[in-house]
Amino acid sequence: MTTIAMPAAPAVKVHRFRLAEYGALLFFAVVMGLPVAFLVLSSFNIAPPSKPAVYGLDNWARAFSDPGTLSALWMSFLLSITYLIPGMILSIAVAWLIARTDMPGRGAIEFCCWFAYFVPDFPMVLAWILLLDPNFGFLNTAARALPFVQGPLFNPYSFWGIVWVHLSTGGIWFKVMLLTPIFRRIGATLEEAARVAGANYFTVLRRVSLPVIMPAVLAVAALSFIRGLESFNTELLLGTPVGIYVYATRIYDYTRHEPSAYGEATALGSVFLVVLAILAYFYQRRLKGKRFTVVTGQGYSTLRVKLGKLKYVAFAACAAYIAIMMFLPLGFLILGSVMRRYGFFHLREPFSLIHWQNLFGDPIFFLALKNSLVIAAITAVAAVALYSTVGYLLASRKIKTAPMLEMLTWMPWVVPGILMSLGLLWLFLATPARSVLYGSVLGIALALTIKESPVCSQAFKSAFLQLGPDLEEAARVSGASWSYTYRRVLVPLVAPVAATVGLISFGNALTSISTPVLLYSPRSRPLAILLMEYSFSGEVERAAALGLLITAMVSVMMLVGRKFVRPLTGNL
Amino acid sequence: MPQAVLQFHDVLKRYGEYTAVDRLSFELAAGEFFTLLGPSGCGKTTTLRLVAGLEDPDDGEILLHGAPIASPKRGILVPPDKRRMGMVFQSYAIWPHMTVFENVAFPLRVRAEGADSLRKKVLDALELVGLGGLQERGATSLSGGQQQRVALARALAYTPTILLLDEPLSNLDAKLREQMRFELRALQRRLNLTVLYVTHDQTEAMTLSDRIAVMRQGKIEQLGNAAEIYERPATAFVGDFLGRTVVLEGALKKIGQQLTLEFRGGERLSVGENHNGKFSDGDAIRVVCRPEDVRILPDGPVDATEVRARVHEIAYLGDHLEYTVDACGRSIVVVSGKGERYAAGAAIRLAFDPARLTLLRIES
Repeated sequence: MTTIAMPAAPAVKVHRFRLAEYGALLFFAVVMGLPVAFLVLSSFNIAPPSKPAVYGLDNWARAFSDPGTLSALWMSFLLSITYLIPGMILSIAVAWLIARTDMPGRGAIEFCCWFAYFVPDFPMVLAWILLLDPNFGFLNTAARALPFVQGPLFNPYSFWGIVWVHLSTGGIWFKVMLLTPIFRRIGATLEEAARVAGANYFTVLRRVSLPVIMPAVLAVAALSFIRGLESFNTELLLGTPVGIYVYATRIYDYTRHEPSAYGEATALGSVFLVVLAILAYFYQRRLKGKRFTVVTGQGYSTLRVKLGKLKYVAFAACAAYIAIMMFLPLGFLILGSVMRRYGFFHLREPFSLIHWQNLFGDPIFFLALKNSLVIAAITAVAAVALYSTVGYLLASRKIKTAPMLEMLTWMPWVVPGILMSLGLLWLFLATPARSVLYGSVLGIALALTIKESPVCSQAFKSAFLQLGPDLEEAARVSGASWSYTYRRVLVPLVAPVAATVGLISFGNALTSISTPVLLYSPRSRPLAILLMEYSFSGEVERAAALGLLITAMVSVMMLVGRKFVRPLTGNL
Repeated sequence: MPQAVLQFHDVLKRYGEYTAVDRLSFELAAGEFFTLLGPSGCGKTTTLRLVAGLEDPDDGEILLHGAPIASPKRGILVPPDKRRMGMVFQSYAIWPHMTVFENVAFPLRVRAEGADSLRKKVLDALELVGLGGLQERGATSLSGGQQQRVALARALAYTPTILLLDEPLSNLDAKLREQMRFELRALQRRLNLTVLYVTHDQTEAMTLSDRIAVMRQGKIEQLGNAAEIYERPATAFVGDFLGRTVVLEGALKKIGQQLTLEFRGGERLSVGENHNGKFSDGDAIRVVCRPEDVRILPDGPVDATEVRARVHEIAYLGDHLEYTVDACGRSIVVVSGKGERYAAGAAIRLAFDPARLTLLRIES
């Protein structure tokens, strides 16, 4: 018989758990609650900068007496809804073709969408400028050679130009990546039961499949709409030159004022937060409880609709869309970067590597490259460390504050990058953190890390949920301490997810503009901001070269990491 | 009596408003195979997890060898890794990133066992569960039955104070389950293990256990050995949960020391001696017995321990027949061998053995 020497009344009361729980809550409260609180508060502060605060409604009055403010808000909605509708229709069609039909080459189409999803949007906007600019855009120049065509045929600096470009950047690929797994996961038994009950494929689609996935489709639409509202890059490059402002570019504009109009910016931001909070609330409610209904049923459906001859038409349409919306602009980005003067094909030596040489000869470039790599590396490491803990807490059934924590992790979906930067800017300026965070790579990395919260927390949460508590508890009962269990059992098991989260955070940190745009200083300027500056100073060729470089960096990274990334995008 | 290995004193566990374990008290003797049996949601798994330290009680005390391991009022809560338990989870919880060897070696590694003795103990444990030679296999390449054995080997690799088994057989197919049941019992005898076993399967409970605690809504309904709780269920719930039961209800008539039940139709059945005077005249009584304790006789005159019945339906079950009959105003199921057969609609008699009847008062 074994006897057991019990430690005398060991008061093991300090739960590492609780510590992590309150730590995570505190972190989110400080980095997200405070900036948001500041936004609202300082919108009422009417004293000039660096003077004692005086409170009043002047900012609000000024912001809303300016017709530009309301029209910017309106424009945000109008744009977002306008490209949402064709975007949803297209992506539902493509996702359905990929997941549920016998279209040839569906694997290749899916891969292209996946690849396009990671191509940063700013270089794509640049590429469309190279194609469509009224003065030097290739398509306009080419069209002029046709009879009956007088002035420029296309103009990207317009409402419809912005809509068009949005249909080629992130938005649509993002939706396809979210929708394809949803179509795939319709429980096989649900559909098979309907088939056996006598329904043909289209009746099944109409009466069973679509109703079953509708909540998820609506959730994707709502999410896309909210993300559309915070769009910044496209509108900055294409809207600002002709006076089309969305609220994000308007806020940017306010902060660039001399003297800067932070009051108006914060008032506008506060209004927007209210609107977004309402939208997000409905989105969350829709999502709750509905989300997993799709994943019921055993096994994935194997029923594929046979398209007959139409399948070649479908493939050709998908391929053409990808070619025109993805590879055509990318090609012109390459072309633009190697032309002496873009658009002037009749020069004696139209092609040259001079812009690449200039780029690599620019000392600012190397500083920016270094900054970008440092920022991205810090962001990736911080995101993995922070959100693995948060995801663990969310998945564990033992914390009472889980709903609150969950809500906080979703906040960055709601608070657009530019607003968060505005709030964080204040946090950095007004607190002792100033010396470390203001205008530094650390400050930018912090902002980017926060921005990653929703995807990363959810990725880790679902990974831990999938593991279930048994593997961890088995280790504990076997005699392993919590930290030993964490290192030897939990971390190795979620390593693929951690790699994915790190990779995605790294890539997003490299390409984000709206988040660092208010936070950088000359010594911490990252590559993406340098790209923006090149684009504004009219150096399209050098901007094309840099845009291409960033695109190449991200693409290579994602291709290498595909092995790991695949499971995650399927889990979003 | 030797000191109990494990003692529960008034242990309470709540989840919000829901009481999972309701002031539970029991003891576990050394070398005993003790089973918690009950339907899902009865608190049996929570009880097991309280022993393991995976849940903290809200009140009461859990003692291991007389020393408290969980006692909220004394502020004592020994974490699971300091309790020296071995546990087999329903899902087996085999770590997929480790080999079979590493899985089984884990409890020894965390206790800083020397390399040589570690290797010996792991191989011994694997040999014990019949997995010798598979130590280098990836844990997830094993079949369900093999994974179950790995989980068992892991729990036994170092000598646990108590072996905790949470429905370990429920994910196996019927044949394998029977084999494992047999091996588990043999292993427990051979190693003289103290086992706390959780199941909802009464066959498992009855064939494995020294003692069974039938649980319902966080409480123990009855505690005893297999024969006791099967033959003499303390409540209708226990009787029903342990298998098919024949239930009759009627009013009690006392005739001297003899008790007679009068049914709604006026028919009477002698149910034996007064059970220590527990019942009084006119009590509403429920009589519970096993289908196999009721004999079917052809129609004829009935004596005091028999009632009249009519066959309603017959089911042919291979080695025996199952009759659904109408008797005493109820529909009941009785079984019989294939020797004599009665057609549907046939009049029969049912003979009861008063010694095998359990009487329960119906609380109004």
